Amino acid sequence: MSIFEYNGSALVAMVGKECFAIASDRRLGVQLQTIATDFQRIFKIHDRLFIGLSGLATDAQTLYQRLVFRHKLYQLREERDMKPETFASLVSALLYEKRFGPYFCQPVIAGLSDENKPFICTMDSIGAKELAKDFVVAGTASESLYGACEAMFKENMEPEELFETVSQALLSSVDRDCLSGWGGHVYVVTPTEVRERILKGRMD
Amino acid sequence: MSKSEVDVPPKGGFSFDLCKNDMLSKNGVKPSYRKTGTTIVGMIFQVGVILGADTTEGPIVCDKNCEKIHYMAPNIYCCGAGTAADTEAVTDMVSSQLQLHRYHAGQESRVVTALTLLKKHLFNYQRHVSAALVLGGVDVTGPHLHTIYPHGSTDTLPFATMGSGSLATMAVFESEYKEGMTVEDGIKLVCDAMQSGIFNDLGSGSNVDACVITKRHKEYLRNHLLPNPYSYINPKGYGFPKKIEVLLTKITPLREEVQVIEGGEAMEK
Amino acid sequence: MKLDTSGLESTAPLFRASSELLDGFSTAPSFDLPTTTDFDGFVKEAIQMVKPAKGTTTLAFIFKEGVMVAADSRASMGGYISSQSVKKIIEINPYMLGTMAGGAADCQFWHRNLGIKCRLHELANKRRISVTGASKLLANILYSYRGMGLSVGTMIAGWDETGPGLYYVDSEGGRLKGTRFSVGSGSPYAYGVLDNGYRYDMSVEEAAELARRAIYHATFRDGASGGVASVYHVGPDGWKKLSGDDVGELHYKYYPVVPNTVEQEMVEVSGA
Repeated sequence: MSIFEYNGSALVAMVGKECFAIASDRRLGVQLQTIATDFQRIFKIHDRLFIGLSGLATDAQTLYQRLVFRHKLYQLREERDMKPETFASLVSALLYEKRFGPYFCQPVIAGLSDENKPFICTMDSIGAKELAKDFVVAGTASESLYGACEAMFKENMEPEELFETVSQALLSSVDRDCLSGWGGHVYVVTPTEVRERILKGRMD
Repeated sequence: MSKSEVDVPPKGGFSFDLCKNDMLSKNGVKPSYRKTGTTIVGMIFQVGVILGADTTEGPIVCDKNCEKIHYMAPNIYCCGAGTAADTEAVTDMVSSQLQLHRYHAGQESRVVTALTLLKKHLFNYQRHVSAALVLGGVDVTGPHLHTIYPHGSTDTLPFATMGSGSLATMAVFESEYKEGMTVEDGIKLVCDAMQSGIFNDLGSGSNVDACVITKRHKEYLRNHLLPNPYSYINPKGYGFPKKIEVLLTKITPLREEVQVIEGGEAMEK
Repeated sequence: MKLDTSGLESTAPLFRASSELLDGFSTAPSFDLPTTTDFDGFVKEAIQMVKPAKGTTTLAFIFKEGVMVAADSRASMGGYISSQSVKKIIEINPYMLGTMAGGAADCQFWHRNLGIKCRLHELANKRRISVTGASKLLANILYSYRGMGLSVGTMIAGWDETGPGLYYVDSEGGRLKGTRFSVGSGSPYAYGVLDNGYRYDMSVEEAAELARRAIYHATFRDGASGGVASVYHVGPDGWKKLSGDDVGELHYKYYPVVPNTVEQEMVEVSGA
């Protein structure tokens, strides 16, 4: 078993019309044993920027703390929030720094730029950026998620439709994965609001 | 592990303090990185250099349209194959060194400079930084084309191929390449070679990117050919057994947060 | 080289059929053995290649009214869920059930084989085979293949002349008589619920609920168990399927959630 599959995770981010959604499952497991069903994998960096960290939970939490620290330093120095593109480069640099002893996480970054243009991106555990126009996925259910998103995605979705699509893709994917699921956690971010929702899913 | 390096922004270079995780990989939990199953090519023509690359990435095609021709300098570009993060990082690093060098010297960068910087880095890391590169550009001394192997060894050639599709493409070059080709012929040859790589090598695919560099001009032909269009598009889109399915899974909004963001930068504190 | 499996044949033919029809079948069935010097290594590798679906939760227990048998319905291959609707309780005959854990093919094949043998026993002796006897038939077969890669963890539950019977049989050759068993990757969780709630003098309803609840809790904690919790009861008149509940719904039946619909405007908690 790969170290990336030790805790189990599923992450997906999708863009809509002047909005984006980022969603994760809620399971924390140790291999097949479920430890918690309210685990947080998506973190807020600032109001319009979120990062999801799939993979090894301990590394995800450590990495998140380092990222918050670096973002705060940036805020103090620049007196503004980071642009999503800048933040993606920061994450990439932080990961590549540990090229030969990496954090075992695969991040998914989603943010809204000042012009309300959505930005999504994912990376491997050593920071190879992959920018996408439509959707990005990560975690143990990533294969299923690719399939679900590829079929369900439409361009220029309004927030509510985007929420529906992301949730459907997530829940149907984790239902085919032993190591993720047990509910879902979705953020839909529009220029005016952040809608956070807990999804009801199968608990097996 | 000195205390001073707690977490201040780094001065650059690799950090090895998580290498204890190496223990895990010895226990058989080796992490896998995103490698690019790749075809990259380059050739010298009449008055310059043409580079070509496919746009597929990852074991199950994570990215179907990535950019593998990296900017090094206005007159120099570089195709990368191998571990995605390494090719990206090494070309970024060297391109910024070249920029600094240009500020200092006040003249155009030379291809050999880029070549030396790249091979130095790769040789230093003794193939642990796994990047296989095709470097091409035109400088005061004319057009140049080089290949760089992950160990740091280099070749200087009139045409070059790298990556998993290199055999398929090399076959095309070997049979079709002539000295002093025109731009049109050159681009056509690169495209032919690339398609041979895309269709015959399982790891390569999607589109053809090309970059034509001449004396005082360069042209980045992003997605020059699209031989693999996304052909099946469900005209009606994907209909969920919609609302019914939703009622069944029952989405329970637990918290709805409304935060109005003022125009311009959001204010913290 | 051939492996002799004549031991599998039913006991002496009841009446000699003279037809050539059976000629082709009359030779003792046998498996080809691989031509290899390292047989153990070969088998080990072969098992890895067809690694059977392992994740399962099955349980059975004897109580006042008979035997209660329950199982989940998930089949997984590594992390991937290949089916959510597997029948893990195998109906051997109207009075006997077998459960399935380990290799699906191994379990299905040998239970069917056991069914045949039980029927033949019935015809030869004019009375139903005892659970003890049936479980021993299976255990003997599995023992003869010991170390060759079969993967079976099963419980044989039924009702015979002596009353309810329950045996645990596995591919290592083990055969245990008992009143309470659970097999599979989810068994520790199921045992927890089972041991805690078990009483001999339960009613059928109580017992069914205990079995269902044990399976539900196992599917909740165990990633490789899930799907439907089916519950069977074996009484003096044979087995009867009592229920098959989707665990996805069962969870919210046991732990109803109040759809906290609109908890809007958590007035600016950020920045705290």
